[in-house]
Amino acid sequence: MEVTIPALRKAFRDVGYITDEEVVITVYLALKLEKPLLIEGAPGVGKTELAKVLAALFDTELIRLQCYEGLDENKALYEWNYQRQLLKIQISRETACTEDLERDLFAREYLLERPLLRAIQADRKVVLLIDEVDKTDEEFEAFLFEVLSDFQVSVPELGTLAARQIPVVVLTSNNERELSDGLKRRCVYLYLDYPGVDREIEIIRARIPDIGEKLSTEVARAVALIRSDQDVRKKPSIAETLDWARALLALEKDRLTKAGVNQTINLLLKTKADLDAFHKNIGASRLEEYVRAEKG
Amino acid sequence: MKDCLEVNVVRFIHLLRHTGVRIGSGEVIDALNALTLLDLSDRRSVRAALQATLVKRPGERAVFDRAFDLFFAPPEEKQQVTARHHHKWEKRQDMIRQAEEELTFQGQALELSDREKTVYASIPEADRQKILDYVKKTAEGKNVEQHFRPILESVVKGSLSYWRKSLRNELDLSEAPDTGDRELNALLEGVGSTGEGGFASLLEEDMQNIADKDLPRARELIRRLARQMVARITRRYRQSKKHKQLDLRKSIRSNIRFGGTMFRLRYRSRRIQKPRLVLLCDVSGSMARYASFVLQFIYGIHSVVGSIESFVFSEDLERVTPYFGQSDFNTTMLQIINRSAEWGRGTNIATALRTLRVKFPSVLTGDSYVIIVSDTKTMALDEAAKELAQLRRKVKDVVWLNTMPDTDWENAKTVMAFQKLVRMFPCNTLADLEKVMRKKIFV
Repeated sequence: MEVTIPALRKAFRDVGYITDEEVVITVYLALKLEKPLLIEGAPGVGKTELAKVLAALFDTELIRLQCYEGLDENKALYEWNYQRQLLKIQISRETACTEDLERDLFAREYLLERPLLRAIQADRKVVLLIDEVDKTDEEFEAFLFEVLSDFQVSVPELGTLAARQIPVVVLTSNNERELSDGLKRRCVYLYLDYPGVDREIEIIRARIPDIGEKLSTEVARAVALIRSDQDVRKKPSIAETLDWARALLALEKDRLTKAGVNQTINLLLKTKADLDAFHKNIGASRLEEYVRAEKG
Repeated sequence: MKDCLEVNVVRFIHLLRHTGVRIGSGEVIDALNALTLLDLSDRRSVRAALQATLVKRPGERAVFDRAFDLFFAPPEEKQQVTARHHHKWEKRQDMIRQAEEELTFQGQALELSDREKTVYASIPEADRQKILDYVKKTAEGKNVEQHFRPILESVVKGSLSYWRKSLRNELDLSEAPDTGDRELNALLEGVGSTGEGGFASLLEEDMQNIADKDLPRARELIRRLARQMVARITRRYRQSKKHKQLDLRKSIRSNIRFGGTMFRLRYRSRRIQKPRLVLLCDVSGSMARYASFVLQFIYGIHSVVGSIESFVFSEDLERVTPYFGQSDFNTTMLQIINRSAEWGRGTNIATALRTLRVKFPSVLTGDSYVIIVSDTKTMALDEAAKELAQLRRKVKDVVWLNTMPDTDWENAKTVMAFQKLVRMFPCNTLADLEKVMRKKIFV
């Protein structure tokens, strides 16, 4: 696919990723400038999905590095296959010459490629998703931005391995801690927020073609109201909105009603505290009135 | 044309940097490269490109939007902004001149800051006249010599400080930094004062001045800060890899099946030690607002640092730990305020600390940190200092978060007395609170 703004816009629509023009332009710039795209935003606004969509658009592999506390270079970049090396030593103990054995032991076949190295060594351009980078330690982050600035890594026993193709890199962060300036400087930055009501209606209709106009509108309005409640800690994600809409559809609802809300609200709100906050501050009856009144 | 674009972008970046947005030179190059890829006549594309390459913190987006709208406005609008700024600047200069001419001591102007001079010129006529009369009478008094001048200055400064606080909602004392470019100065002032600030401005606001309408946003901000803190605290505990030690006994035992070859290594790590915190929060009349913010913050991290003993105090001390962790924050606060006998009364730190020592000795152990949140204002200062010294000996550390602005510390006896005994940090904004918690307590 040729990377232009209209082509990206159309491709996003074709795969059902409905988004704002700002997002299209930012993705376009990241691709053209060959810079990593750092996406921040609340959980469930479609950050990871964007990486998947890019892989689908370019018809290429998505290599995912899921970050967590304690993630280190061995898990992210490469590791020597220690067990296999030991087996080789045991087998060749009597026969092989020591020097040959040592050379053999550090050959590529004993190297376990982890996501970063796999992305750099791939024959064709891949999409590398470094998910929830804010969960890693600061030391790992520093290591990461070295890799991302040069797209090459040094394996002492093998030398420098440079990227065959510069991958499309997407980093996501839930903003649980502030990332370092060094990492941010190397990236094109995108902040994704929850979609507005109109945008969410579009998303619902694109993903659930069978849904009626009234139900999709009322669901989007109801979700926007729930998200605006300060006491609801875990705001409903776009995926949860879609699940909720599908559930209502499965129950053959064509409008949002008090009974329908009470039957299905736990698909949207998943902690007791949030459900309590919903019943206390909004409630099913008021939600029904609200979405109807808005419509009128 | 190209030069023109570059100059404009660099000036815009200059403006952003003066508002506090951190932009490196690599990002400037990225921004210029990005603009070459886009249709420059499309305002939306230019905005998106500059935003994506220059603004990398959610809190800076509001500032960027205001700066972009002002900087890339039609020339006539920009001229109006510059003219308004110049008019305001001239008015301010007149006020400063007035203060310099009127507030003199034996023919010499008193040494006051420009901000103090502006406050003087802004206070009501009758009150200004009172200050003026006092200065004149003092200057013309018998046997009054030059060395009396600093005393007079100190009295006048004290009075102006009172007026600055009283008129804080009416006075505009904001002073944008000088960029060396008149137009940018004007725009910078516009960026600083247009509309509502984001979380960034709330962070820097004195907690006492956070308006009621901003409380939901402040609550959300505190929740976010607490969540970030939680992520930090738990991460610290799990950074065990470095502390891991090889467990030889277990490693040998589990590798016997491989003929003694060490295929699988077994490690052991130190037991996680969470800090024991004892929070003493002053809830006297002057402190109630601060207390509600600090308690909310502590409430947020309570779930991970389970062993927080919380107390509120004013004339005496009261344990409030049982209220935490049972219901949501608003209910908890209501419970504390309704049931606490201490909320909103006067302050006696000595009695409070004595009660802590006598009634709750079990919470004061060698591994506990005591955090005191108070403006230090108290009755029975000497006794309070003695109690504090005793407390310091019993626990690992005592950290005092002082809500009094640090500019006033040198004139406060209580601060002087307590500062000798414990570590004291200013804490009158949410940014201070977050910084102290992050850098001084959970280091």
